[in-house]
Amino acid sequence: MTEPIIEVQGLRKTFRVTERQEGLAATLRSFVRRHRRDVNAVAGITFRIEAGEVVGFLGPNGAGKTTTLKMLSGLLYPTAGEAHVLGFVPWRRENAYLQQMTLLMGNRTQLVWDIPAADSFRVLQEIYRVPEHSFRKTLGELTDLLELQELVHKPVRNLSLGERMKVEFAAGLIQSPRVAFLDEPTIGLDISMQVRIRGFVAEYNRRTGATILLTSHYMDDVVALCRRVIVIHHGQLLYDGPLADLAERMAPYKIITATLRDGAAATADLAAYGTVTARDEGRVTLKVERQIAPERAARLVNELGDNLADISVEDPPIEEVIDRVFSEERVGAAT
Amino acid sequence: MIEIYRALFVGQIQAASQYRVQSVLWMLFSVIRPVIFLAAWVAVANAQGGQVGSYDVRDFAAYYVALSLVSNLATSWNAYDFEFEIRMGRLSPKLLRPLHPIHYAVVENIVWKMTTIIPMLIVLGFVAATFDARFRSTPAHLALFVPSVVLGASLAFLAGWVVATTAFWTTRVHAVSTLWDRAAFIFAGQIAPLALLPGALQTIALVLPFGYMLGVPAEILQGAVDVPTAMVLIVVQAVWVGIFYALLQVVWRVGVRQYTGVGA
Repeated sequence: MTEPIIEVQGLRKTFRVTERQEGLAATLRSFVRRHRRDVNAVAGITFRIEAGEVVGFLGPNGAGKTTTLKMLSGLLYPTAGEAHVLGFVPWRRENAYLQQMTLLMGNRTQLVWDIPAADSFRVLQEIYRVPEHSFRKTLGELTDLLELQELVHKPVRNLSLGERMKVEFAAGLIQSPRVAFLDEPTIGLDISMQVRIRGFVAEYNRRTGATILLTSHYMDDVVALCRRVIVIHHGQLLYDGPLADLAERMAPYKIITATLRDGAAATADLAAYGTVTARDEGRVTLKVERQIAPERAARLVNELGDNLADISVEDPPIEEVIDRVFSEERVGAAT
Repeated sequence: MIEIYRALFVGQIQAASQYRVQSVLWMLFSVIRPVIFLAAWVAVANAQGGQVGSYDVRDFAAYYVALSLVSNLATSWNAYDFEFEIRMGRLSPKLLRPLHPIHYAVVENIVWKMTTIIPMLIVLGFVAATFDARFRSTPAHLALFVPSVVLGASLAFLAGWVVATTAFWTTRVHAVSTLWDRAAFIFAGQIAPLALLPGALQTIALVLPFGYMLGVPAEILQGAVDVPTAMVLIVVQAVWVGIFYALLQVVWRVGVRQYTGVGA
C-alpha cells in the first residue's frame, strides 16, 4: 500500500459554547454566571486519502465538515486525535507544509479588495517563493482554464461573485499545492459557473495529480468530481467508500420507472409491484426493495405486456440517498 | 524577504492610491488635536506673562509641531484593524500562508507614512510659521532624532500588536485599545510636554512606555533635552522595544493557540 497523503486517526474537536435564554432576566444572570456547554463538532473520525484522489466530504450543516477541513489545513487545534498531511502535523503550520497546501473557502476572500488580482498574484508568488518560470506557467494555465484574461486587471471589489471565485481559485493555486481543501467552492454561483468550476477542478486534478478533499451542498459537484465520498453527521463518520456504492449501502431500495402507453399511467394500479411515488406524463415511478427489484421489474414487463413502452431500474438520486441518511440519523437520534 | 517586501509595497501603494483623499483627511485630522493643545497652551502662557515652566509660546509651537510629525511617523492602527480581521475571518487566510501576518501591517504602516508625509510637512510648516516656532535643536539633535523616531515607531507598533492580540481572547479589543489610547493621551506627551507634567505624573510617565513612543522623539527634535540626556532616552527606548518584542513573541504564540483552539 502506498503512503497516504492525508491520514486522520481519531480526530476530535470539542467547542465550548456559551448559552443563554432569551429575555432581560437571563441576560442579567449571564453577566454573573455563564452557562457553557461542550459541543462535539468532530467526534473522533478516522480515514486516509491516497495521492491524487478527489474525495467528497458530505454532511448536513453543522456535521463537522468545515471544522475537519480547518484542522487538516492547520487553522484549528484538535481536542484529540492525530492527523498527518504530506507527512506534516497540520496545526504546527510549518512553512514547508503551508507552501504545499491550500484551503479555499467559497464564502471567504483572501485577495486584497482594492487592487487587481494580478498584483495579489505577484505578492503570493513572492510569499510562496514561486520561481518566475513556474509562476508564469501556472498562471498561464490557470488563466486558460478559468478564463481569467479580462478579470485579473480589475480591482477585486469590481468583480461579480462568480468572477471573484474564479480569481480566488487562481490565488489559492498559484503555488501549485499538492493538497487542496475546497470548502463549498461553488456556493452562491449560478449553474453555468458551477459547471465551469467543476470542470476546472477535475482538469486541475488530472493535470497536477493534486489530492483534493471537497465539501459541497451541491450533489452535482460531488457526482462530477468524486469517485469516493466520506459522509459525516454529528461529527461521526457514517460512510467512507465509492460514491457508486453509497446508494447500495445507504438506500435499501431501487427506483423502477415504467412508461405506459395510451394514458394508462394515470389509472393503472401498480401498488402490487411497489410503492408508487409519482405519476406524470405517462410514467409511473415505483420504489421497490433492492433485493426484489429485478423480479418486480420482470413481472411488470410480463404482466403489462404491450401497455408498457419502456422500463428502467435505477438507484435513487444521490440527493435522495443523502437526505435519507441524514433524516434517518435525525430520527435515530430522537428515539 | 526583500522580494516579499517589495511585492507587498507595490500592492499596498496601489491600495493606498485608491484612498488618496481619505489619507489626506486622516492626516489633517491627526494634526487638529495637537494644534488645539498648542492654541490652549499659548493662551495659558500668554495669561501667565508668556511662560509656563521652561516653555514659552514659541517653545510650545516647536514642541507640538514636532509632536505632530512624530505622531504621524510613529502611530499605528493595528489594534482597530486586527479586531476587524478576526471578526470577519480575514486573519485565517493570512495564518495559512508561509509569512507572519505582522509583515503586512509593517508595510501598511510604512506606506501610510510615505503617502502622508509630504502634505504633513507642508501643513506643519504653515503651523510653525503661524506660531513662530523656535527649535533649539543642534545637528546632533537632528542626528539623534532619526534613531529616536524609528525606535518610537517600533515601540508604538509592537505595543499596538500586543494590545491587538487581546482580540484572540475577546472580540471587543476596541475597548482595550481605547483604554490604551487614553493612557497614551496623558503619558505620551500629547496633553502636555512631559517636562510640564506635575511631579507624580511626570515620574509615572517616565516609567511607562508611552512617552518613549511620541514625547521623547518630539523633545529631541525640538531640542528640549541636551544631547547626553537624549542618548540616555534613546537607550531606554531601545530597552522598551526589546521588552515589547519579547512580549509579542509570547502573547502571539499563546494567542494564536487560543484562536485556533476555539474557532478560527
